[in-house]
Amino acid sequence: MAIFSMTRPELRKKIALQGIAFIIVGAAFIFLWNTLKKTQAANIQTPSSSRISGTLPSLLSDLNLILPISLLAVLFGVAFAFYLEEWLPTTSKVRSFIESQVAFFVEIPSLLYGLLAITVLFSYADVSKEIGTPPIQNINEAGLAAIPLQHNIAMFYAETLVFIFMVIPVAIKTTQEALRSVATPIRESAYVLGANHWQVLANRVVPLALPRILAGGCRAISRSLAVAALLIGVHIPGTRGIPDRFMLFLGGALLLSTISSFLIEIYVPATARHG
Amino acid sequence: MQTKKKGPILSIHNLNVWYGDNQILDSLSFEVQPRQITALIGPANCGKSTLVRCFNRLNDFTPNFRFNGEILFNGKDMYKKKTDVTAIRKKIGMVFRKPEPFRCSIYENVAYGARIAGINQASQLDAVVQKSLQRSGLWDEVEPILHGNPEQLSIGQQQRLCIARALTVEPEILIFDEPCGELDPIETVKIENLMRDLRNDFTLIFVTNKRRQAARVSDSAGFLYCGELIEFGSTEKIFTNPQDTRTEQYVTGRLG
Ligand SMILES: Nc1ncnc2c1ncn2[C@@H]1O[C@H](COP(=O)(O)OP(=O)(O)OP(=O)(O)O)[C@@H](O)[C@H]1O
Ligand SMILES: [Mg+2]
Repeated sequence: MAIFSMTRPELRKKIALQGIAFIIVGAAFIFLWNTLKKTQAANIQTPSSSRISGTLPSLLSDLNLILPISLLAVLFGVAFAFYLEEWLPTTSKVRSFIESQVAFFVEIPSLLYGLLAITVLFSYADVSKEIGTPPIQNINEAGLAAIPLQHNIAMFYAETLVFIFMVIPVAIKTTQEALRSVATPIRESAYVLGANHWQVLANRVVPLALPRILAGGCRAISRSLAVAALLIGVHIPGTRGIPDRFMLFLGGALLLSTISSFLIEIYVPATARHG
Repeated sequence: MQTKKKGPILSIHNLNVWYGDNQILDSLSFEVQPRQITALIGPANCGKSTLVRCFNRLNDFTPNFRFNGEILFNGKDMYKKKTDVTAIRKKIGMVFRKPEPFRCSIYENVAYGARIAGINQASQLDAVVQKSLQRSGLWDEVEPILHGNPEQLSIGQQQRLCIARALTVEPEILIFDEPCGELDPIETVKIENLMRDLRNDFTLIFVTNKRRQAARVSDSAGFLYCGELIEFGSTEKIFTNPQDTRTEQYVTGRLG
């Protein structure tokens, strides 16, 4: 096990690094808990549930926002992974810091990120006011429900926040693994012919790594779709807040998964986890 | 001053290499003469690969690699700042122990070197590919399957394919790092004959841990032991009249 082969300073460094991610998630958890409590108290109600026309328009309007942002996030993650893996030396402090944070965030289930998004929605925009608006009345030519602008901005904040912690780390990690899966001798065989770094990447590495990079991108996007499922719940008129017991369950799950991913990160060697 | 033609093509002065805190090479100094086969012999893990990977700066990619000393290529320090490393690698080619054909056709494998060197015209590429394959003695065997997958070739043919690929760049020096390590005796003989042919046009550096092979093909030889260059000189001298007892023990098979 990794922990037994680590020297004391190494272990201390690892715990310190993981602690940062732990604190971020912990803070998010407290924030989430409080906000959801408040929204419960604010008594979200739908004034006119009779005008509800189903989940499809709501689903489509969410996907309308989520898919483009996810794609952008995946592109950013992939590009960033190239920078980390190909341009920063393995001894780089920046690289080891980012990698340890990434390793932490990919372990957290997407459901919990969804809750985080909801929290942001509830706190930065008064979504509860919007909830009564039946989306069916605002359907545009594309057949998609036009979301009120203010709502859109809130969604944008929520999404961005969620993607920073959810989609991008998955894209970074899978891309890095894809790049590493191209064996060193293949790169060296091109370097010894006088190829430069860009040529080696474009001609030899990317063609072999591409299937894995694409698979990673799909994984990252499917994670964001899971969040979409939760957000849709917020948009469907008629949702009367979230039941207390459900909240308790989710809160517990968040705490548990945070702690377990913290422990996994510290105790299990990376090779055992991803091998 | 020595002229470029007469002097050594590669001079190594006081080379020390570390991986982290492990010293791998300990103050090596020797010279490689042009149009010769220089063999580097020594037991496993004595640092032969580490040494030759310094010559084309392939060690630049190894984390923890540290080095001091001087390597002059045609009289110029190749570890000087602002050296164009890819230009150095075009002039100093390398063939590895395990052949690593790219996952494309035999033709494209050989053409890749030429493309890197800036040749893009189809007719020129055809000519370069044919010439390189002929030089490496593979043309007759692969002509009918030129656009086929290199994996159908025997391992020895794959090794010659890698040699052909290295030749398209027209390097001055070719480093062979145990090129026959994975080959059977018949393929080994073919590679040895090929090296003798190539000596007319290139300078060869030949790493091997088979002493008889070094004795058969090389002009000069160096014996490396635990990161030290115990002895360097003409092959004849190293194998028939070594100065150091360890060299003598090694070449007679009593050491390593
Ligand atoms: N990337 C590396 N990092 C740390 N140590 C290394 C690295 N590469 C090689 N070494 C060590 O350097 C020493 C010399 O290795 P090298 O590969 O140069 O030996 P060699 O003479 O080529 O051996 P062989 O005959 O097995 O090919 C070995 O002890 C090896 O463990
Ligand atoms: Mg070796």
